Amino acid sequence: MSEKINLTVIGGGPGGYVAAFFAADLGMNVTLVDLEKNPGGVCLYRGCIPSKALLHVAKLIHEAEQAKNWGVEFGNPKIDLDKLRNFKNNVVSKLTGGLGQIAKQRKVNFIQGRASFINSNKLKIETVDGKTIEHSFDKAIVATGSVIATIPSLNIQSKRLLNSTSALDLPEIPKSLLVVGGGYIGLELGSVYQALGTQVSVVEMLPNILPGADRDLVNFLVKRVKETFAEVMTSSKVLEMKEIDNAISVKIQDDKGNVVEKSYDYVLMSIGRKPETRGLGLENTKVTLTERGWIKVNKQMQTTDPSIYAIGDIAGEPMLAHKASHEGRVAVEAIAGHKVAFEPMAIPAVVFTDPEVAWAGLTEEEAKKQGIKYEVAKFPWAASGRAITLDRTDGVTKLIVDPETQRLLGIGICGPNAGELISEGVLAIEMGANVTDIKLTIHPHPTLSETIMDAAEVFFGQSAHYYVKPRK
Amino acid sequence: MQKEFKLPELGENIESADIVNVLVNEGDFIKKDQGVVEIETDKATIEVPSTIEGKITKLFVKAGDKIKVGSTIMIVEEEVAEPEKQTEAPAEQKKEEKPTEVKTEKPSESKAATAPKVSGKKEIVEFHLPDLGENIESADVVNVLVNVGDVIEKDQGIIEIETDKATIEVPSTVSGRVVEVLVKAGEKAKVGQTIIKVETSEAQEVKVAEAPKVEQKQEEKSEEVKKETPRAVTTEIRGELPALHPMELDEQPPILKGAAPAAPSVRRLAREIGVDINKVPGTGPGGRITMDDVKAFSKKLHESRTESGFTTGIKAEALPDFSKFGEIRKVEMSNIRKKTAEHLSYAWATIPHVTQFDKADITNLEKTRKELSKIVEKSGAKLTVTGILVKVIVEALKKFPQFNSSIDMEKKEIIYKNYYNIGIAVDTERGLIVPVIKDADKKSLTQISVEMNLLAEKARTKKIGLEDLQGGCFTITNLGGIGGTYFTPIVNSPEVAILGVSRSSYEPIWNGYGVFEPRLMLPLSLSYDHRIIDGADAIRFLRFIVESLEQPMKLLL
Repeated sequence: MSEKINLTVIGGGPGGYVAAFFAADLGMNVTLVDLEKNPGGVCLYRGCIPSKALLHVAKLIHEAEQAKNWGVEFGNPKIDLDKLRNFKNNVVSKLTGGLGQIAKQRKVNFIQGRASFINSNKLKIETVDGKTIEHSFDKAIVATGSVIATIPSLNIQSKRLLNSTSALDLPEIPKSLLVVGGGYIGLELGSVYQALGTQVSVVEMLPNILPGADRDLVNFLVKRVKETFAEVMTSSKVLEMKEIDNAISVKIQDDKGNVVEKSYDYVLMSIGRKPETRGLGLENTKVTLTERGWIKVNKQMQTTDPSIYAIGDIAGEPMLAHKASHEGRVAVEAIAGHKVAFEPMAIPAVVFTDPEVAWAGLTEEEAKKQGIKYEVAKFPWAASGRAITLDRTDGVTKLIVDPETQRLLGIGICGPNAGELISEGVLAIEMGANVTDIKLTIHPHPTLSETIMDAAEVFFGQSAHYYVKPRK
Repeated sequence: MQKEFKLPELGENIESADIVNVLVNEGDFIKKDQGVVEIETDKATIEVPSTIEGKITKLFVKAGDKIKVGSTIMIVEEEVAEPEKQTEAPAEQKKEEKPTEVKTEKPSESKAATAPKVSGKKEIVEFHLPDLGENIESADVVNVLVNVGDVIEKDQGIIEIETDKATIEVPSTVSGRVVEVLVKAGEKAKVGQTIIKVETSEAQEVKVAEAPKVEQKQEEKSEEVKKETPRAVTTEIRGELPALHPMELDEQPPILKGAAPAAPSVRRLAREIGVDINKVPGTGPGGRITMDDVKAFSKKLHESRTESGFTTGIKAEALPDFSKFGEIRKVEMSNIRKKTAEHLSYAWATIPHVTQFDKADITNLEKTRKELSKIVEKSGAKLTVTGILVKVIVEALKKFPQFNSSIDMEKKEIIYKNYYNIGIAVDTERGLIVPVIKDADKKSLTQISVEMNLLAEKARTKKIGLEDLQGGCFTITNLGGIGGTYFTPIVNSPEVAILGVSRSSYEPIWNGYGVFEPRLMLPLSLSYDHRIIDGADAIRFLRFIVESLEQPMKLLL
């Protein structure tokens, strides 16, 4: 770079701040614009991070309870909601504050405000202290993320109607909670409240919770949820909601088409997230959108406006923090003139319920749909020594393999720590590893990670711990 | 009825060709003999004319593609009438039958021509240098074909550019009035750079606004099209619908479709050094591609590049940094230049050349030529010395068959030819090419003159076909029009001899009776392949030519 590139990143989430910091490392003049006091975005302030803090606590409560079976009894937990909230808030402020520090160290010009494009090289920024500034850039990266999707007809004005943000604030421990939408957000937050003592019900429009995920994996979670939750209503939908005395009355059409009316202390709407480009002034640029409202980008994350890039949720699915970060790095390198492209072989997805569900690469369902030849190798955790010591045999490790090259095409894991375990599979897919590679890699004993090696052995019919007919 | 148009036979040994330019778009009406694509083979750039007529429903090629003889270039709907005739048909039916492109395009054409008068919205649209094909980032502008104020139509040529592949005309994707021209001849233009700004007629905008429902369909359609013809995209629809930039095209198949088994670091290396990872043979288990595989593949690629350009076994000396000594300008070789360089290096390095000089007294011949030229001119061509030489050389080849041969060193064979095709070197602005007069022995001098004229014209207007450039037995290169006395031409391998002709001039010639007479003398230089032609034969051959020119009656003996 002969002259320093002036890069402006709009949005300080895990896409935006990674891009901004990396760009600073590459010697660009970087401005990062975000509404919050520090970088972090939804992920750190209102998403992945605070929910994980609470889920950790939820897991602890469950394990303490389960300990009865092992001869250890703690008695019923006493929950100090303020303290719990503080713990969560501290986690958030520690991380976001840390990012603010790092931004300073990297000499990233952080502006707290809202930015919109005036044209392809200029932004208007309304700062939180009421100033409006015009800000020129050579290149901009739009990383403004997504917003919570709502159903207008169900959008009643009530403090008892929660969304993923307000639910994290733990207003109280309700006696009953209805979670509308059986996706990962609803199940994660539902699990938290369930652990804290709430009777949680879930209503999902589709025939399964966690639609889109592999049934082999989800089955363990379904079983658990059905055991612990008050009710799981699939193929059902909410028709109407209204606030009544200290509760919300909900009309639900169940899987048989009957309409039932029930009331809950609180209702959590968690039907998903969607892109939001209004207010960004994109109409003043050459940026175009896809039919579904995401910004159109190429493999360099460049939009149809050559000076503007887009990353993260706003640039399309999957809406995952780690995808955003990776895209941010690609965009920055492309801006720096490197020959790069966003072309991962696999993007891992993790649902942090208990048990956790994680997968990466090709799923069985997708292989079927696309007519791709595949073979499956499954290792049930009931055969894992480590899982048995944890008294958690409700898991499975599943490999999707190309029968011709025996290359790993996809991996799915269900069970405690599946989110941690999945990375090995992602690396294997990225490296083009075949099942033999996995089989021949020594895994430590006794660990849950062994199940991946075991699954590879199952592929050949050679697992020591799980008998299947050997391959001819 | 749908008909496929395939790449026709291009001539001996030519199996495929590079497309340098696609001259039509999907939705266009194409006439018989209208150019479809401009292709480049190692011999020349030629236009392939259509053999069918109708509306192009599908186009399978784009600039930069390599296509094989017999592969389908486009599908043409034969029975659809031309749009003018269609105006009678009810409007709805029209909409159904063909997608909107035609619809938006037609009014804009007519309105652009008759200056805009409706108070509709006009738009200034930038026309960018489109993607020119893989790895081409910029091109030299050789010529700007439009001026400010010109009304241009879609597909009209805007600039002529030269890339390493060929000189091509870049057609406009918009119609309207040129308000600004941002490039000059001699400049380098980058892909994506704005070339001109055009004020579009309001028609395009208005149409879209009228039919918002249709617009959505259009966009879908344009996306479909984009996959195949990334150039022709978008602009028809909205004046300017910005397109994603070309890098989008360098797809690496996703893992689902059998992507190369290579680690991310290996894939990145490949991308950086410009190697298509999917083409690299992997040596690891399961065909896994290692870092070394990519490097080896890249090395092989470079080697084969230099192999195809003949290597003499002599190591190239490093060039000094010329800019230390003064101002320099670097220009990439045109493709014809590269081929010429390779071909001539090969000929020079493999053929042991000897050049024999002589001169012919053409005083009498010139008199006759001028007289006879009047007769030939009735057929539309002049009688030239070169034309006469073609006829003379045919006779010389008959008399000295070793001059009408080729050598096969591998098989240790000499191939004698019983046909007489004479090549004539033509200087074009894009470089040297050699059209061939076929069966010159069977043609009259008038026929030869007319044909020479035609071929030279075709060569200059890029219309020359490959068949016109193949099958030569012997080459004549006449530099006399420019000047010079003698030169040493290089044999046009696999031919074995070449005749160089320089400028004739009056010289005092001793007439044998005590007087110097002014005689018009024509210097001739005969280069020949000493492997097959001995020196004595060469001078006999050349003397035969000289004497035939001095005393044409001899040819009849």
